[in-house]
Amino acid sequence: MNVLLTGVSRGLGAQICEVLLREGHSVYGVSRARSEVVSRFESDFGGRFFFRCADLSSPDDARRAVFCDEFVGNRVPLGGFVSNAAQAYGDLVSNISPARLESMFAVNVFSPMLFTKYAIRNALFNGSQCSIVHISSISAHTGYKGLAMYAASKAAMEAFSQSTAREWGGRGIRSNAVAPGFMQTQMSSALSPEQRDKICARASLKRLTDATSVAETVAFLLSPKASSITGQCICVDCGAV
Amino acid sequence: MGKIALMIRQIRQNKGIDAPFELTPDTSLREDLGFDSFDLAELTVRIEDEFGIDVFETGIVENVFDICEKLNLK
Repeated sequence: MNVLLTGVSRGLGAQICEVLLREGHSVYGVSRARSEVVSRFESDFGGRFFFRCADLSSPDDARRAVFCDEFVGNRVPLGGFVSNAAQAYGDLVSNISPARLESMFAVNVFSPMLFTKYAIRNALFNGSQCSIVHISSISAHTGYKGLAMYAASKAAMEAFSQSTAREWGGRGIRSNAVAPGFMQTQMSSALSPEQRDKICARASLKRLTDATSVAETVAFLLSPKASSITGQCICVDCGAV
Repeated sequence: MGKIALMIRQIRQNKGIDAPFELTPDTSLREDLGFDSFDLAELTVRIEDEFGIDVFETGIVENVFDICEKLNLK
């Protein structure tokens, strides 16, 4: 199937892309900038991996760059859309900066909503049974000091996903969220060793979440194996409570 | 107009409606053709693919006249 994936250039996005390409899917990857891993996907999976630069902090421009005849037009029937790109914004609520808040919501909420609109339109045109997966976060379920704004953006997408599932289920379109725990990615690299230890102590499995496990869960939700699963949020978080 | 009629026929057939229909400027998409919001969404997508215009973006479309007006069709 053809899968559109945002945030493909590093971290979890690169892991998801790797799993999907190895399963034989075609991936239309989007990211703000190219990376070494993008070049590797292009050389290892030429003909099944396509890349487009787009900055999700400008939702409408990003949408135009992605949903066009040169990339994901109506002649590319989408079987899956994975909304993975995200911006982290950690600070105390008492320090909220409106500009940073707006920028984060543009990347984490407005662009994913707009991309969902066009993924659904693509599916409507092609009569395809698209599966949508939004990458959420454990922070949307369990409070974390300094992550209130980020958590709010992720909770927004979980609610959006659930209603999308209800709205479009009749057309065979599924929408789910995956909420990973803290992974060893660039996004969590700002954590101090003490913070990391604390997070591990809170998890039942006493370790950080394995990004490959999250990527495999995303691939499962995209696949026909998950054909009866929609409107759900799957926590892949080493049993955080 | 012929292209619009083909799109409408296809959407109606997908819904299991095979009855012939007539298209006049006054034909209501909902009342006369039996379209619901999801059918209208599909029609929008098909019209946009053909004409490059999102007819529902700038307001409510009730009948065939509204579509023709937005597409500048006579």
